Amino acid sequence: MNNTASPATQQTAIVGSRSTDWQGEVMQKRIVRRYAAERRFKYLGLSAIVISSLFLAFLLFVMIGNGIKGFSTTQVAVPIDFASATGGASPEQISGEGAERALNSLDIAGVVNTAIEIEYGAEAGDIFTENSWTDVRDALLSNPDMIAGNTTVWLTAKSEIDRAAKDETDEKFEALYAKLKDAGKAQSGFNWGFLTGADGTDPARVGIWGALKGSIITMLVTLAMAFPVGVLAAVYLEEYAPSNRVTDFIEVSINNLAAVPSIIFGLLGLVVFLSWLELPRSSALVGGLVLALMTMPVIVIAGRNSIKSVPPSIREAAMGVGASPVQVVFHHVLPLALPGIMTGTIIGMARALGETAPLLMIGMRAFLTSPPQGLTDPSTVLPVQIYLWSDEVNRGFVEKTSAAIIVLLIFLLTMNAFAIYLRNRFETRW
Amino acid sequence: MTTETTTITNKMTTRNVDVFYGEKQAINGVSIDIDMENVTAFIGPSGCGKSTFLRTMNRMNDTIPSCRVTGEITLDGEDIYAPSMDVVQLRARVGMVFQKPNPFPKSIYDNIAYGPRIHGLASGKEELDRIVEKSLQRAGLWAEVKDRLNESGTALSGGQQQRLCIARAIAVDPEVILMDEPCSALDPIATAKIEELIHELRGKYAIVIVTHNMQQAARVSQRTAFFHLGTMVEYGDTSEMFTNPQEERTRDYITGRYG
Repeated sequence: MNNTASPATQQTAIVGSRSTDWQGEVMQKRIVRRYAAERRFKYLGLSAIVISSLFLAFLLFVMIGNGIKGFSTTQVAVPIDFASATGGASPEQISGEGAERALNSLDIAGVVNTAIEIEYGAEAGDIFTENSWTDVRDALLSNPDMIAGNTTVWLTAKSEIDRAAKDETDEKFEALYAKLKDAGKAQSGFNWGFLTGADGTDPARVGIWGALKGSIITMLVTLAMAFPVGVLAAVYLEEYAPSNRVTDFIEVSINNLAAVPSIIFGLLGLVVFLSWLELPRSSALVGGLVLALMTMPVIVIAGRNSIKSVPPSIREAAMGVGASPVQVVFHHVLPLALPGIMTGTIIGMARALGETAPLLMIGMRAFLTSPPQGLTDPSTVLPVQIYLWSDEVNRGFVEKTSAAIIVLLIFLLTMNAFAIYLRNRFETRW
Repeated sequence: MTTETTTITNKMTTRNVDVFYGEKQAINGVSIDIDMENVTAFIGPSGCGKSTFLRTMNRMNDTIPSCRVTGEITLDGEDIYAPSMDVVQLRARVGMVFQKPNPFPKSIYDNIAYGPRIHGLASGKEELDRIVEKSLQRAGLWAEVKDRLNESGTALSGGQQQRLCIARAIAVDPEVILMDEPCSALDPIATAKIEELIHELRGKYAIVIVTHNMQQAARVSQRTAFFHLGTMVEYGDTSEMFTNPQEERTRDYITGRYG
């Protein structure tokens, strides 16, 4: 009986699904293996997330740990009897129009240095720099009444004293700082000068505002150039360009351009903008143009992709009620593509913000002690400033470098947050 | 449009129309007359070219670079492929409703108002409001949406979306409305509403509807053209066509032999 039935069963086993043994041992093993594979993949993904989080946490921890010190400063007290030292200058004399000239004629530097000499004697050179008196000049400019009295001013101490306050220098300065501290002649405070000043030689007196302002102006130039040109190029290539060899060539060229090392854009800028067009060297204008060249391909590629992903039915709908090609693009396609275009712009701008190499090529590495006043002023940008400070010999620049990195990261996050906010506002819910 | 014309006038005529996609010929010598009084249905199996032909009637296939049309298609006696014909205006005069409902991702109001706005059909907000209301009423959607005109058009159900698209086409006051399988993505109840709507619109606009549902063609149309393999096999009164087809291929298709 069994023998006669077996050929038939065998045939159904191959052809029909009814005889598949879903509960059998082989099937159960397969299920177990499948579950194991799922679990393995889940844990692999999880470990990747953990590793990258650790890297990020470590980076932030180190940066903030080092950089936070860069935001504080140490000041040392100097009593100055302005009334007698200046021979009875009046507040009226140093206020109003000619205040600065009047102050110069009073030899404030001499007054301050004498006062320091009297108070600290031989140690004066270890506590203050020769530029410390500028604090007094600035204080007098904002508060002329001081000149008629006898006051104690707090002057920014030398970087070594500042570092002694954060306990990380040699014994000599630590002892000196301890002595000042015990006498109540030293105090620490938030370093406002860092947020308002520009580059300098003494790490205790440098500021980031010059580089930050340079970065802001450069980014504005980049955005103003790259965004409209990039978007229009993307629209033209997607909506108008005939599909032929020339278009293909342009498409390939743009894709390649996005992958060109950035320093080459710097060389291009050097030749085209500085040599041929004779635009001002080291200026935010040229820096912005060079970065715009770099950012544009990214925007074009992202723009084309997101224009392509707008459903053709929307175009047909618009054409069906008699919208012209321009109306189809500007009323329907671009608004729907905008979130994608903005994502591309964020990526491009973030890359441009962190770029150093091409800007070095066009001379944006100059030592500048005042913030740029406009597009054509010599300026520097945050990453270049970080690069320059990281190269300094003076140990005091270490914390300034980290502080500058924090400022750069905050700038980057602010820029991205703003762009993401804009993108979400334009995002259409289907 | 004026509806007092009692004699049948041809709104659109086509003569010996050939359509090519590159080297491949998709439509072969189609001649047909579309009038104001009757709804014309194009039927035929998938891939027979009925949609392609419909799209030549408002030059929607201009957007396909390899597509080439020869022969003559006229609207009120005017050749629509003539260089003097403005294609944007043509598409306003010959409106279109698509297979899949495709409202703009904007509010219901803006969906309807878009056409009148770009063509400057309304002189003010009030007139625009009136056009929107009238169009939605004609499309039988007003009662359902009048309290939520600011909601997104895409939030409506499939059938409502398709009626919204019809209202959008009506809003620019077209002379001809081309419908490309307007019910193929809808359920039977929504389909019935669209068909009812087509009945009501008949006479106000010249209507051409492509369908592969023969019952639908029988229900909504007065004239039917049967397409097969890029040629128009038979064209005549719908009742005649379904009861007494002249061509064997038509008979085979209608009786369900193929298709």
